[in-house]
Amino acid sequence: MFKALVEPFRHPKPVIELGAGRSLGSVTGRKPKAKAKDWAGTLKQLWRYLAKRKARLSLVLLMVVLSSALALLGPYMIGKAVDVYLEGTGGQSWGIFLLSLALVYIFFSLTSWLQNIWMIEIAQETIFRMRTDLFSYLHRLPISFFNKRQQGEIMSRLTNDIENVSSTLNSSAIQIFSSILTLLGTVGVMLWLSPLLTLLTFIVVPLMAIGMRWITRRTGPLFKERQRNMGELNGYIEETLSGQRIIKAFSQEERVINGFRERNTRIMLSGYWAQSISGFIPKLMNGLNNLSFAIVAGVGGLLAINGSITVGVIIVFVEYTRQFTRPLNDLANQWNTLLSAIAGAERVFEVLDEETEAKDEGAAISLDKVEGAVRFAGVSFSYDGGANTLQDISFEAKPGEMIALVGPTGAGKTTLIGLLSRFYDPNGGSITLDGKDLTSIRRESLRSQMAFVLQDLFLFKGSIRDNIRYGRLDASDEEVEQAAILANAHSFIMRMPDGYERMLSADGSGISQGQKQLLAIARAILANPSMLVLDEATSSIDTVTEIKIQEGLQALMKGRTSFVIAHRLNTIRSADRILVLEGGRLLQQGNHEELLRQGGLYSDLVQGKRREAAEVEA
Amino acid sequence: MVFIFSFLKKYRVAAIAALVMMLIELAVELSQPLLISKIIDQGIREQKSSVVWLWGGVLVGSAVVAFIAGVLSSFFASHASQGFAFDLRDKLYEKVQSFSYEVFNRFAASSLITRLTGDVSQLQDTIFMSLRFMTRVPLVVVGSVIMALVVHVKLGLVLTLTLPVLTIFLYVVMKKASSLFRKVQIRLDGVNGVIQENLTGIRLIRVFVRMNHEIGRFAAFSGDLMKVTVSALRLTETTMPFILLIVNAGILAVLWFGRIEISTGDATLGQTVAVINYSLRTIGALSALSWIVVTFSRARASSQRIVEVMSAHEETEDLANADTMTNSQSIQGGVKFEGISFRYPGSNIPVLEDISFEAKPGERIAIMGATGSGKSSLVGLIPRLYQETEGIIRIDGVESAKLEISKLRGAIGYVPQEVLLFTGSVRENIAWGNEHATLQQIEQAAAAAQIHATITSLPGGYDTMLGQRGVNLSGGQKQRLTIARALVRKPAILILDDSTSALDAVTEGLLLAALKEISCTTFLITQKISSTASADLILLLDEGRLIGRGTHEELLASSQLYRKINESQVGGMVQHVQSIS
Repeated sequence: MFKALVEPFRHPKPVIELGAGRSLGSVTGRKPKAKAKDWAGTLKQLWRYLAKRKARLSLVLLMVVLSSALALLGPYMIGKAVDVYLEGTGGQSWGIFLLSLALVYIFFSLTSWLQNIWMIEIAQETIFRMRTDLFSYLHRLPISFFNKRQQGEIMSRLTNDIENVSSTLNSSAIQIFSSILTLLGTVGVMLWLSPLLTLLTFIVVPLMAIGMRWITRRTGPLFKERQRNMGELNGYIEETLSGQRIIKAFSQEERVINGFRERNTRIMLSGYWAQSISGFIPKLMNGLNNLSFAIVAGVGGLLAINGSITVGVIIVFVEYTRQFTRPLNDLANQWNTLLSAIAGAERVFEVLDEETEAKDEGAAISLDKVEGAVRFAGVSFSYDGGANTLQDISFEAKPGEMIALVGPTGAGKTTLIGLLSRFYDPNGGSITLDGKDLTSIRRESLRSQMAFVLQDLFLFKGSIRDNIRYGRLDASDEEVEQAAILANAHSFIMRMPDGYERMLSADGSGISQGQKQLLAIARAILANPSMLVLDEATSSIDTVTEIKIQEGLQALMKGRTSFVIAHRLNTIRSADRILVLEGGRLLQQGNHEELLRQGGLYSDLVQGKRREAAEVEA
Repeated sequence: MVFIFSFLKKYRVAAIAALVMMLIELAVELSQPLLISKIIDQGIREQKSSVVWLWGGVLVGSAVVAFIAGVLSSFFASHASQGFAFDLRDKLYEKVQSFSYEVFNRFAASSLITRLTGDVSQLQDTIFMSLRFMTRVPLVVVGSVIMALVVHVKLGLVLTLTLPVLTIFLYVVMKKASSLFRKVQIRLDGVNGVIQENLTGIRLIRVFVRMNHEIGRFAAFSGDLMKVTVSALRLTETTMPFILLIVNAGILAVLWFGRIEISTGDATLGQTVAVINYSLRTIGALSALSWIVVTFSRARASSQRIVEVMSAHEETEDLANADTMTNSQSIQGGVKFEGISFRYPGSNIPVLEDISFEAKPGERIAIMGATGSGKSSLVGLIPRLYQETEGIIRIDGVESAKLEISKLRGAIGYVPQEVLLFTGSVRENIAWGNEHATLQQIEQAAAAAQIHATITSLPGGYDTMLGQRGVNLSGGQKQRLTIARALVRKPAILILDDSTSALDAVTEGLLLAALKEISCTTFLITQKISSTASADLILLLDEGRLIGRGTHEELLASSQLYRKINESQVGGMVQHVQSIS
């Protein structure tokens, strides 16, 4: 029993550096090291959202002012009641007094109810708008934005950060405002009632400042340490769970469990100290509350004896000091929430400040039906002004031709396709479609003419049918199945439980990589485009399946200008033109026989001489 | 919830100590109105400053006691909650590791990660807070009422009368609120799901010009979320004003009766003031309620998610009747499938149907077939990642189900389709297959896997770090590392699940030749004719059935599909490889 009691104090303390933490600013009067970089700008932008409900918002503010005033009035009237009606004998209007106190209480409840209800509405509407704005904005950002960032990072801006702002707007915003009002009001009335007693109760303020400083200097680094340990554990879990197949097959469970335990222990230790010390904060507040209570009761009592104040004043002070430390406590609690919310809002607005895909020029045209003649003339491109990813590429594709792109990883094949679909625009040279410059064509109109089977296979959460139908939203069930048959996906779909209605999860589990590719091909077939882009479309499909879908693909490509990137060279032998790229340059072009006769990179690749060398370069 | 809290048992002393400390604090706070009534009645009204000094001193002293108790409770509560979280995480992770691969696959990896981190932390915070604040709320309310009764029975009764009203009201609200918050959580998950999908599929959405479709879908989800959130918060925000109204009505009544009692001399001024003060304290405590409701409904959701994992069935790997006699011999590598059929649990679709073949020790078996034909499932049955539905698998003539699983897996070197390396050095990654491997053995394995030369050319050689902050190897290099990892085990059975796909023909030829010398039974899933040509037996799978078997020449003669595959891959490559091997 005793051993268990001292156990908590035996945890070794992690070594931390004092003073690296963030202080709880306002309470101590020290300027906080805010996470947010640009407060004013962020708040201004946030205000732009809130300002849409200006009328409602000013009503809320009015309610906050009223309820804060009423909150002051209540205890004051009780003090009066004690002095006039309970201690003294006078006062004929007792009934009227009680009635007016009742009215104060009723209006206090009413105003605080209204301010909350209205604020929630405003806050949630604001959050809704921020969320949808941010979401639609993402769809206008250039693809390079997504290349530069980790998906999880963008994800957390859209979820965690917005949630942070949401919970702060719901309650903290009002609470902070009313805390400040109550604080000022209380201090004012207290000074008016008894300046001496007020000053004595203020003894607790410097104590609070010192205590908070002591605590936050320690908790800051501890929480950081804990966060770091948590991140490490996260990484370990992720790695060992995604490697589960290997762990099982090599029976290494014991080993990873031990590794986990090691990291888990580190988290426990730093967590223990961080939580213990930060747990002092409310206790400190409570302690100071009790102390000020003792001061008011003791000193107030002495003052009352010599007649300089009444008992009623003591009653008022007892309640007021509670009302006065509570907002301080609230402020301290809300402060961190507020800081992280502002930082969150800033991260949200940062996205909204990103430059969007260049707007289509005013005169940009919409395409009706295209022939599919594509021409690259001296096209160069670099990401972010760095070294050229593509340099001086010129070629021509006649309507209906199949163009194959070949070359080692990093040769610029995917970038070339990106230019064609206007994910990026070239830095030099020009690309034309049916003789019209690509930049003069509206992006959406251009992309509607093309169907893509992309490298990153992607399925939505939904049925197989819905996933195929994504290619053309108004397609009938028969058309969907027709497309699946052409893509050779029909038979495996029918063998799944529920067939076309089979629900796919977002991460595409329960369906193999190759099957995903077949669905993506079916999707492209359904879109029935004038031009087709297959980026590594058949890389995960084994030779056997490939033989089976070749027919479907041939049918799909017929009469459509097609661009095909494939590593397996046997699939592109029939291409009208093969473009051989390396290091962003177009080395060779021609059909299979021509290129073989020429010798060079293509024939090396065909003979399997160069694959590995190319990979190392990449 | 109950099951989860049983994890707290080990820390009951600390937990109880934390609660006791909280009770001390509470006692101090609850004594304050009583003491102030003494100051008023015995000090101020009797004009005795010594009494005021006495009780004032007691108040200061008790404040100090309460503060110390509070600080101690912080340590106790933190110890109990952190220990609880440690144990829970530990057990949970052990549990996950004890899952058979089948059970493991029932959970998405991402959801297991949140359960292990977010959900456990949520519970830990709830426990920490419970030990320090939440249990306080009912205690303050009940304690205040009792103290009010002690101070003055009649006036205290007025306060007592508000209790049933408050209790019923709160019960109804909390019940409603927790179901509303669950709804909020579900909607929130929906919204986050759409975001996740859109980020992953952003390119696809662009090229299919489905931006407006997606934005519309998102707005619908997000609007739903807004509506439910507003209604949930509206409910909780109505709670406080209503509670205030009830308790304030009580205060009015106390004032009313107090005046009558004072005038008849049945109560003192100090007593009336004390009862009012107790009423005000009740209000203060109850203001934390809506926050508690939210915290608890979250904790409940978290504990449900954890229990889900904890109650999943464990792997029944070792059969009780494992044959110890045969277990003492080392595995030679003979593998025999007798009429094997396999279905994934909970599915009616046969993945494999009636597969029979035999591999003698040291033979090379190539497996070919279309995507989804069951190749990976077939080799997954050998290390018992899955359990066959029908038929018998024999290892060296012994039913594999009767072998000790660690022994069976210890004799198998497995190279999965997807390349999986761990954070750490090259050496550590290879030695992962065999902790006791010497550097020489590691280098031998690397050499056989045709990766030794590449490793020595790396900046740090075998100590080069891999992974996020380390060197990025090419797909083919990574594949060869995973092969080295399997070879360092000196396996009797080697399984290569399409793990030579990123190798060029020359390297692959060298690798296959090196494997011949190691003389282990090798299962080789491949799509390349160049790899099957040297196999002792080729199995051609289609939709779970064995549609062809034999050597390269035999299949060329007997199987039309095999001939087609062969034709599609003719050219320089095949001849090239054949000339090497």
